[in-house]
Amino acid sequence: MRSPLRRWMVCLAVLSCTCLAANEVTNQDLLEDARIGADWLNYHGGYAGHRHSLLDQVNRSNVEGLRLDWAFQERISEKFEVTPLVHEGIMYITVPPGDVYALDAETGARLWRYSRRMPEKLIACCGLVNRGLALLGDRLFMATLDAYTIALDRKTGRLLWQTELIDYSLGYSGTHAPLVVKDMVMVGTAGGEYGIRGFIDAFDVETGERRWRFYTVPGPGEFGHDTWAGESWRTGGASIWITPSYDPELNLVYWGVGNPGPDWNGDVRLGDNLFSDSVVALDADTGKRKWHFQFTPHDVHDWDATQVMVLLDKQYRGEMRKLLVTANRNGFIYMLDRETGEFLKATQFVKQTWAVGISEGGRPIRRPGMEPSAEGIEVFPAVAGGTNWMSPAYNPDTGLLYVSCREGSSMYYKGETEYRPGTRYWGSMFVNEPTVHNWYGAVRAFDPVTAERVWEHRLFQPAWAGLLSTAGGIIFAGSTDGFFKALDATSGKERWRINLGAAILASPMTYESEGRQMVAVASGGGVFVFALPRQAAQ
Amino acid sequence: MRPLRYLVLLLAFPIVLAAARTHETNPMSTPEEFAEGKRLYRINCGVCHGMEGKTGRGARLARRSYRRGNSDAELFDLIEAGIPGTDMPGLWLGEDDIWKILLFVRTFAEKASELCEVTSGDAEAGKRVFETQGSCLACHTVGSRGGRLGPDMSFAGEMYTTQQLRDALLDPGGAVADRYRTVRLVSKDGEAVEGVRMNENLYNIFIMDRSENIRSFRKEHLQSLEQPGESLMPAYGDLLSEADIDNLLAYLCTLPGHAKEDPQ
Repeated sequence: MRSPLRRWMVCLAVLSCTCLAANEVTNQDLLEDARIGADWLNYHGGYAGHRHSLLDQVNRSNVEGLRLDWAFQERISEKFEVTPLVHEGIMYITVPPGDVYALDAETGARLWRYSRRMPEKLIACCGLVNRGLALLGDRLFMATLDAYTIALDRKTGRLLWQTELIDYSLGYSGTHAPLVVKDMVMVGTAGGEYGIRGFIDAFDVETGERRWRFYTVPGPGEFGHDTWAGESWRTGGASIWITPSYDPELNLVYWGVGNPGPDWNGDVRLGDNLFSDSVVALDADTGKRKWHFQFTPHDVHDWDATQVMVLLDKQYRGEMRKLLVTANRNGFIYMLDRETGEFLKATQFVKQTWAVGISEGGRPIRRPGMEPSAEGIEVFPAVAGGTNWMSPAYNPDTGLLYVSCREGSSMYYKGETEYRPGTRYWGSMFVNEPTVHNWYGAVRAFDPVTAERVWEHRLFQPAWAGLLSTAGGIIFAGSTDGFFKALDATSGKERWRINLGAAILASPMTYESEGRQMVAVASGGGVFVFALPRQAAQ
Repeated sequence: MRPLRYLVLLLAFPIVLAAARTHETNPMSTPEEFAEGKRLYRINCGVCHGMEGKTGRGARLARRSYRRGNSDAELFDLIEAGIPGTDMPGLWLGEDDIWKILLFVRTFAEKASELCEVTSGDAEAGKRVFETQGSCLACHTVGSRGGRLGPDMSFAGEMYTTQQLRDALLDPGGAVADRYRTVRLVSKDGEAVEGVRMNENLYNIFIMDRSENIRSFRKEHLQSLEQPGESLMPAYGDLLSEADIDNLLAYLCTLPGHAKEDPQ
């Protein structure tokens, strides 16, 4: 016979389990991220790298009414590049160099803060940055500047485990938002300007134990090792600093790999230098390479391939294909078959002067005399490329791919270099020569299959901000001169803008809170969250 | 450096200072150490400061004095620890290597003083030309006097070579920094305005007009907007004698003058 008290206890236990289950982020949630819309659970807003939300409350007809709803500010002297994650009313952000905050997604109120104790000197070429987190269950995952992967309790910020990638003092660091696949969290190492040997690790989400490692610079006996002269593979760079995309059906993770080192002097590393400037498709379970494609063999301009890999299923030449489309830093948009890695097409999308074109096999046909020299040579695009790590977006309604573009040139110099652990290994220098007439940016919309440009929204300076597409027919974009703006996804016409007072160096995201669509972007030292006024949203 | 600032620096980098530097002055001096310092500079510093300390996104090093400190110890600490909040990182090198770099960097200051050579001109006469006949003060500041349409010339002797100054006087449109480019526009009301471009974004342009008023214009409202890239400064080859120009150059090369304090 059961007592009433016992029945109540059983009911309470069932209820608490139900609530707990409801609060946890499941693998199914991650698989459906792009189809749910209310939360933002992965850096790209979905495994396919579309940065597109199904939320449509803010749309062409009302976007002019968008208002600042709340802001989070912190004393940040570094570049603020985070994309927030949101799950069930809580926003999670990283704040450089090593903090994590949980905020009430409705009001911005702080719930907890994790502050990582960092070494005196961190080694990062381009700012002490971090781009965000990954979520699974009740855990948050972060790659840290001192080269650890860490797991935090998402309800308290308590450190659950930390696993060292490698000794940070050798020039290694972690800057990108990790990727969670099944019961693994995946992280690659940054540090391509310090003579590292890049790699990608997968860890058990529960224990932090390493499951596999893939070296982006092959060692002796491995495929591609012979593309590095002598011992240059030991300091070949090929870093990872942007979150990969993932195809669950193929079980492949698509990693964009960074530049070879030293950056501007390739004499010490003759050969193609695999897998620098490549996309590598790795089996998620084993970390084994299924295929790779190198965009810029033997790069001497620092054109990392750390751009977002956009996964699309489209008709191509009368056949439905599983495609991978990416706008590369070297000035070309590439289309590959993501099952096999077959090169299908490359189309120039910004001014470039280094290549005559791309061969049928996908290899660039170089224009002679465009390599860095002691005297310097002007080459388009500039060292930061025709685009960079900032996210593109794909809108399934318009069928268009949107890219933040950078137009301009750099003077590229070649000089002597010497490897010393933990110090810059660049091979001379580049000089940006920005002028009003030479440099500008643009948000451009392309047909992803034909690569035909459909529209352009000009920016005053080359872009460093990513894009967000929504089912409301809006492309949210940011500019280096501080404007956050809403563009019509079909025409590119500007519908709304606000000056945030500092350069926008991050990619925006959107989520739903208490019946309203919120749009968030980092700028300066803050995260700014916009929404329609409550009455207009109802 | 004032004692309080020294204290702040000490508080900011106690471990670094205690661990890294064992000398107050540079113990390096030999040609071999200089050559090694030059090599290390080219690898570690030239990317931002330029191979001769003159160009790049980092601070110009070819100066006779530095804003953040001038003693060997202060400069060592800057190189070793970097400057928080800026793109200047610290160097992970041993003490000897940093001293060698500093030995090489010190030659930039010597070159800075050689940059602007006081030649045959009469600096006192040049000062009179600058302030009266040439009307240079109308647009350029020296110390606390002068206008703001053109570059501040208070440190001309450290910032420019004699040739650069001569070129600017004879051909002012030859190399104009963005901040000083001429803008001509006609507003929606038909007002013609001429000035220098202070800033610009996609939607607005901000100029200082000839009366030093700072004005903002919406580009879409303008009847016309020209940015010819030239300077508002006249070519002085037509206005001054060769002797006046020599005197003017001699004066500019003395700036800021030994008794003057860095206003920064």
